[in-house]
Amino acid sequence: MKALTFAARSLARQPGRAVLGVLGIAAVGALLFDMVLLSSGLVVSFRDLLDGVGFDVRVMASDAMPLAGPRITNAMSTTAGLASLPEIAEVVPFRIAEAQASGREGRSVALTLIGANVTARRPWVVVEGRDLASARREAVETSTSGARDDNRPGALLVNRHLAGGLKVSPGGQLMLRASCAQDSVLPAMVFQVVGVADFPFDDESQMTAASSFADFSRACGREGHDEADLLLIAAREGHGPEGAVQAIGRVRPDLHAFTNEQIVARMQRTGFSYFRQISAVLSSITLFFGFLLITVLLTVSVNQRVAEIAALRALGFSRRRIVLDVLCQSSLLVGTGGVVAVPLGFALTVWLDRILKAMPGIPATMHFFVFESRALVLHLILTIVTALLAAVYPMRLVARLPIAATLRNEVVS
Amino acid sequence: MMRRWVSLVGLALCVGGALSAQGGVGRAAAADGAPTILVSRQLLEAQTLAIGDDVLLSSDPSGSNARRFRIADAYEPTPDPMQLGAARLEARLHLPDLLALTADPSDPQAAESVAAINVALVDPTDAPAFARDLSTKAPGLVARATAGAEDVRPFVVLERFHLAIALVTVIASTVFLLALMVMLVEERRETVGILRLIGFRKRRILLQVFAEGLLIAVAGTLFGILFAVAWQGAINRFFQWRYDTALVFVRITPQIAWECVLRAIPLGTLASVAASWTLLRREVLSLARR
Repeated sequence: MKALTFAARSLARQPGRAVLGVLGIAAVGALLFDMVLLSSGLVVSFRDLLDGVGFDVRVMASDAMPLAGPRITNAMSTTAGLASLPEIAEVVPFRIAEAQASGREGRSVALTLIGANVTARRPWVVVEGRDLASARREAVETSTSGARDDNRPGALLVNRHLAGGLKVSPGGQLMLRASCAQDSVLPAMVFQVVGVADFPFDDESQMTAASSFADFSRACGREGHDEADLLLIAAREGHGPEGAVQAIGRVRPDLHAFTNEQIVARMQRTGFSYFRQISAVLSSITLFFGFLLITVLLTVSVNQRVAEIAALRALGFSRRRIVLDVLCQSSLLVGTGGVVAVPLGFALTVWLDRILKAMPGIPATMHFFVFESRALVLHLILTIVTALLAAVYPMRLVARLPIAATLRNEVVS
Repeated sequence: MMRRWVSLVGLALCVGGALSAQGGVGRAAAADGAPTILVSRQLLEAQTLAIGDDVLLSSDPSGSNARRFRIADAYEPTPDPMQLGAARLEARLHLPDLLALTADPSDPQAAESVAAINVALVDPTDAPAFARDLSTKAPGLVARATAGAEDVRPFVVLERFHLAIALVTVIASTVFLLALMVMLVEERRETVGILRLIGFRKRRILLQVFAEGLLIAVAGTLFGILFAVAWQGAINRFFQWRYDTALVFVRITPQIAWECVLRAIPLGTLASVAASWTLLRREVLSLARR
């Protein structure tokens, strides 16, 4: 009989104990799997989010994180200057402010107002109505002079939460009072809602609206006129984000340009660090716990079977064969538990992710636990190493078992 | 003279701009009456500044229109989990100095504007009523209690997450404990059989197992709490060093210790009783048989 079959029969002889062992390992393994996913989940999700927006480079006035530092002055001329670089396909100046909006029913809500001049790429997805660019074109076409009418309400895109909260739809109007500086007291402006859009960086309950850069500047009055919080840049094909960053550094050394990868790396060092640490600590504890669990189960099992093991040795089973039997038992327990742990871990991530996503400021499209094949491989390696280490002590017990003395003790007792 | 400009991350009383250290010059100009500032410990260390040094602060990233200040002392920034991992390069100025440094000369209102006014109420429970009154009397002002729900939301979420992890750990521990108890009880199969044969009733044996389980659970719980207490200092010191913060990461309060006792002891005892019950249900002869 092969060692693995023999080990399987040994475990099957005491099914309750084996099932409890497998369940314990599955619970610990699920937690370990989740912690492995958590260690890189936010980074993977954040990278996907940044790449999904369609821009490769972010340009800021300082090396602070986006929206945390001073604004870029002379935003329009800077945009035009950078857009003329051969390495750059598109530049979108981007500005963010807080605002209060009130609808027809007089209900007022706080929202995030975005100002951005978009052409080909846009940092949002229109789900209903028109986009800002087409609304702007239409406004110019319908104007009798062929120029933009300053008295016409500015075009506004709203997200689903805002549309639902104020019960507005494309074609409706909103009174919007922007707060573009800390001591801002600006008059309210009328905006016409042209469409409903999904904004990738919105959190679960955020209300967001977007207008053109010109309409945003009108809403902000002279506060921060011709300033941008950041420039979103798409690199031209063949040059890549690094090429675009180098080109920007050559013509505007005062600006700070970062590729998506660099921003992700910075977030990894700062913002996501807590969850990486938590996952490292919990992974270590879980591994130790799993190691302890398997060692205790196998040791107690071996201690209960010393007479049987001694008898097998006396019958001619080699020491290697008996040690292999213990190792196979450990592998079977951990292997079965590890396999059950993966679906259990997936189910657990749904629950844990829902809890963590309630944190303010976390975009709804981001996830704390993201599956990667690398994570599965790491989980497997950790589980195998734990099984091997946990089997060392019981294997040593079995290997050093004195056959004659054990058999004699067994007979005497 | 060499100047090093560094960005300061802005807070309520901090300048979001640039700082230049002038070692050596500062002490010589001690009698010139330069306004004093406090700098964060992290800024002091990062820029190798010393108390008494003069620094130039500017609200412009390029360092234009800088003003000279003297470092009066260093302070430890209020620990903030939301800024974990961020370098706390901060300075605190007297309000008139800050306004003079940051005010837009073309805006006559700029020198009269502040971002926020902190109000200490005689009775803190009046905060909602005070906020309502103020909003009515001064439209445009936003009054918010410092203990507002929005500020503590990240911590509530983290607490829920840690609770969820703890729950999974408790489930895994319970299964582990149950497996262990089943094995231990199995080891005593013959002893239990003999006890039954000489006249011990099931209830009496179960009571004995219960007492034994209780003792093991109490000992295990106490060991666990003492182990956690012994490690909390090391864990805190490691993470405080890792993140250069005064945040306390682990704090074992009496309430937490009691919660552990209240959960662990019943679970431990229950596991031993449940494991023994499976044995006691069997026929006496099957227990005593080898």
